[in-house]
Order: sequence, then structure tokens, then C-alpha cells
Amino acid sequence: MRKKKLFVAISLILLVAALSGCTGAIAWPGLSATAEVAYLAHTNAVYAIDIKTHNELWKFSGAKAGFTLFNTNPSMFIAAPVTTSDGLVVILDSSNKHVMYAVDPKDFNPNDNNPAPKIVWEFSNAKGLWIAPPLEVGNLLFAPNSDGNVYVLDLTDGKSGKQAVEVIAVSQPGGDEARLWGQPVTDGERLFVTALDKTVTAIDLATYKVLWHADLGGAVPGGFALGGDGMLYVGSLAKQLERFDPATGEHTPVLDTNGWIWGTPVADGDNLYFADVDGYFYSYNTAEQKLNWEPVQPDSSITANPLVLGDKVLVATESGKVFAFDSTGNFDVWYTPDQEGKAYTTPVIAGDTVLVAYLESDYYLVALDQDGDKKWNFPE
Amino acid sequence: MKNPTNPTQGQAPQMPQINPRETLKTFAVIAILVLAFSNFSLVVDLVVNLLIFIYQLVGKNFGIAIILLTVLIRLATWPLNAQQMKSSKAMQELQNDKEWLGIQKKYAKDREKLAQEQMRLYRERGINVFGSCLPTMIQFPILFALIPSITYAIGSYPLSILKLSKSLETFGLQDVVSLIPLNSKFLGIDMGLPEKTLIFGFSIPILAVVVGLTTFIQTKLTMPPSANPGDQSAATTKMMSIYMPVMLFFFSVNYAAGLSVYFVASNVLSIIQYAMMGKVNWRNLLPGGQKPK
Repeated sequence: MRKKKLFVAISLILLVAALSGCTGAIAWPGLSATAEVAYLAHTNAVYAIDIKTHNELWKFSGAKAGFTLFNTNPSMFIAAPVTTSDGLVVILDSSNKHVMYAVDPKDFNPNDNNPAPKIVWEFSNAKGLWIAPPLEVGNLLFAPNSDGNVYVLDLTDGKSGKQAVEVIAVSQPGGDEARLWGQPVTDGERLFVTALDKTVTAIDLATYKVLWHADLGGAVPGGFALGGDGMLYVGSLAKQLERFDPATGEHTPVLDTNGWIWGTPVADGDNLYFADVDGYFYSYNTAEQKLNWEPVQPDSSITANPLVLGDKVLVATESGKVFAFDSTGNFDVWYTPDQEGKAYTTPVIAGDTVLVAYLESDYYLVALDQDGDKKWNFPE
Repeated sequence: MKNPTNPTQGQAPQMPQINPRETLKTFAVIAILVLAFSNFSLVVDLVVNLLIFIYQLVGKNFGIAIILLTVLIRLATWPLNAQQMKSSKAMQELQNDKEWLGIQKKYAKDREKLAQEQMRLYRERGINVFGSCLPTMIQFPILFALIPSITYAIGSYPLSILKLSKSLETFGLQDVVSLIPLNSKFLGIDMGLPEKTLIFGFSIPILAVVVGLTTFIQTKLTMPPSANPGDQSAATTKMMSIYMPVMLFFFSVNYAAGLSVYFVASNVLSIIQYAMMGKVNWRNLLPGGQKPK
């Protein structure tokens, strides 16, 4: 009878394990870097990796939660960590714990079995998921949340349990909940926020009042780009690139795209680079208000923002490859991964190294030189 | 039905005859399972589309959509569940049968002989030994597909929205752009995330507790009465009534609340189905209710 009980118990555990495996990945990694250290938010931890030695410096899995059975309710890290001017690294727990941490990246014991950085402060008053990285403006941190609010935190108040100095509601009364998934942008006077409820909003940085609000007809998961012409550009799931006057909020669609625009356009002088989830890459001239060349479809879906590297623009696609475009629209495969993996995350530059984060791969992170040759991968 | 191999006559034991109809049924179920799992993404796409269709139909309420989807699944699998109940009851009755108990005792030390005798009895009583598990197995692809479907459909994270759009594009029946963002709230709970409610400073997974409780009640209520203290089938069901609620509780603690809503709705509908067929054993809920009468 005891054997039978064991058999039933094991069968049920296997069934639950099988069911658990059905979910698959639901979010891609977040990546940021300084010249020396890469910060990778990947699933249940944030890793700090020394770019020169490619060693893991520390791993952060959230505040210790005490005893947990079956690892219930683990933390989840998917938003790109943000290094603030005071040297701290802001980490967002994207699970339903809704906690934002600031850790001191240099305050850890390398001799520990699992070195972890010291938590300097926490903020846990948000009601929704943290998806977008916050933006530091002066001494303040503007943190958009999926609950439709932008939380304003004072970085200089010295408190370990932060309270928002202001909560700016972006959701419109009677409308859908404005889940804020894109990192805000500022022109120094205003803060520009995008939302999944198909709207974009400008907030006065001095008064925190909403200056203007516009409906784009499609969710806006990416952020604004400030073009060389002083205008704002943003793409949406309505398959349009829109131009905004930052002062008035007047806007016009300037380009129809083949697919959803997921990422944030990148401005480089008069050129604006962006891509869509159907895999098309666009180069738009903001001065002449026309495409520099016909959109090109390298291979698969593109959610990552383009990365300008010298005279070329790098684009990571879902297939895991990185393509390099020149100014005429010609492109070649700059990097082909030697392991299967998907690249949804925007690559970043750290000194002379290009970092590409992968999902569904044995390598979470790959470091490339300026020619697209692999230097190292993490984990090794 | 004649017994072609009567072991009591001292002849050499023969392999039990195969019932072609039952074999065909078993193969059909295996074929459906292989087909479903080899085209699993298509099954997921189907469930996602159905779920989103219902979601739009009921005024963008995900909780109601999940409950209605559960009702649909229950209605579609009603005949299978009815057959399962019938088979379970027949098995239960057989295990309390004098002849069955007799052969258990007689061939307790000869497992091969015991198996042959059991097969003979199954055949004589027209019982399909897989009758109680095949209907459950055929529902596995739907259950397995529901997990990613609910996760993608609710779209709480960026990748789930991309997967949702690809799923919806497969059939091209829904306007994805107008759907996003999806309203993932039901009774104030985000269906896309594990549910936790703060009560006196403690984070309590209320929905997971409800899943555990309803699973426990459902297994208890649908447990047939056993007159035989050594009844193995009853003992297994009793074990399941403890393990299953615990397992589903832990599963619900970790996964999207939408799945918990599915489990609760499924348990309640299962109790209703058993009640409609007059097979609910209310006594089992009382302390000592399962003791042999």
C-alpha cells in the first residue's frame, strides 16, 4: 500500500511538473551596461557580469523571502536595470510582488558562495507589474508602472523604504488601464509617456500635470524618440509612425508600416531607425520626411531597438542573428549565434563590446567585438 | 457471455481474448493524443482563439470567458465523463463482488493467475479496464493547451502579447489591434498573475485555497461508497482526494489566477454533472461518511 501511495504521489508531482512546463517563457530579458559591468535581468535573477573578465560578480534574486515551499511566487526580472547618477543600480521585480530595489553594485562579498549586492532602498507601493525601466531626471526617478501610474521617487531623501513624492495617473477616466511598458523620455521640461491603452501623454516636469494626451489607435509598447528636428516620434501596434510636437501634442502619422512597431525608434542626426514585428527595418529621414530607402526584411520578427555603432546600424532579430545595415540600406549578417536562441532584447554597447541577450538559449548573454566576432558568452 | 478459458477446469492458462471494439477505442484515443501533442501549437492556437472569441462576446471579461470556456469543454467531454463514471462505478462494484474477492483470496500468491482471472471477470462483466482512464487521457491535450492559452491570452508580459498575436493570426478571425490591452481583471484579481491577497499583513493565496477546497470536495463527493475495507480502488481514490487538492493548490499558488478560475469552475461543474447523474455521495463530506456500511 505504501508503494502505491508513493506511486500516486509521484504521478501527481510529474503531472504538475508537466503542466508547469506548458507555460514556456513569457518575457524576454532586460539588459543594460556601464563600461565595466553588464547587468542582465533574466527570469528569476539579475546578473552583474564583469565585461573584461566575463565573470559573474554577483547575482540578485530579490530580498530574502524566508521559507518558501516549492519556490512559490518567485521574483521575476525582465526590465533593463538602470544605473543612477549616485552609482546605484535600480532593479525591478516584475512578478506580482511589484517591488523596485536599488542595490549598491560594489557592496558585495566576492568570497560568499552566492555573492549578492546590498539593497540600499526599496519601493513597494505600486499596484501593477514593472515592465518599463525608470528614467532619472535630476534627483528624481520617474517610474512608469502597469497600474497606469508614473511614480516619482526622490533619490536623495536617504530613506531605505522609499515613498513616492508624487503619483501621476496616466489612465483616462472610463478608459482602459494605461499599462505603461515603455521607458519615458524627457526634453528637459516635459516627460513623455506611452501606454498600452493606445495613448501617449506629456507631463509637465515642474507641476506633474498632464499637458496633453493623444490616442494613437493602437497600443504603444515602446517609447518616444526625440528626432533631430526637435519633434517626437513614436510607433504603435496600429502600424504607424507618428510625429508629435512636444509642446502642443499635435500629431500626424508620417509612415504606414508593414507590421506592429514594438520597439522605440532610435534617432541619429536626421535619421530615425526602427523596425516592426513583421521583420522590416526602416530608415526615415526626419528633415526630408521620407524613407531613406525601401524597408528591408532581413529574416524574422524584430522587437529590439536598433543600435547605432559607428557608421552601421545593428538590428537583432527573433532568429537570434544580428544584422548590420549601412547608410544605403545594404546589410549583411553581422553575427550568427552558435547556439539556438531568440533575440528580442535591444543590444547594448559597453566600451568596445556589443552585448546581445538571448532567450530560450544556453547562453543568456553573448559579447561581441566591433566586427561581430564572439568574445565570450555567459554563462560559460 | 461464454467463458473461453475457464481456469477452474485445470487447463493450462491462456491469454485473455482481446475485445476488438475496446481495442479500437483504445487505439483511437492513442491516435488522438499523438495527433494532438504532435500539433500542440495548433491546439493552443485553437484554445486561444476560442477564449478570445468568448472574451469579446461577454464584454471583455476574462474571468467569465474562462468559466464559459470551462463549461464548453465540460459539455464537449460530457459523454466521455459519463462513460468514465460508468466504468468507475462498474469497477467499484466489481471489487466488492464476491467472485472478485474470492479470486483475490484464492490466487493471492499467484500474480499471473490472478491477472488472468481478473481479466476474465472484466470481460464477463463487459468492463473496459481503460474505460475510466481513457476519457481522462483524451482531455489532457486540452488541459495542457489551456495553460499557455490563458497565459498568452491575458498578455500580462510583452512576449505573451506577441505569442497571442501570432495565435490569433493563425485563424485571422479577430482584430488583434483593437483587443490590446486585454482586460485581465476579474473580481479585482489579475487573471494573468498568481493571486495573493494581503490579510492582516499576510499574503494569502485565496484563489489557490479555493482550488484546493473545491478539488477536495469534488473528489470526496464523487467517491463511490465502498463496502470492502480492502478495496484497492477505493483506497486509491481516497489517496487522490488528499494528494490532488494539495498538488493543485501548489500549482495554483505559482501560476496565473486564470488557471485557478478554470480549476474551480471545472470542479464545480464536475460536481453538478455527478449530481445530475445521481452519483454524488453527500455522505462522504461528513466525518466517517466513507466507513463501510
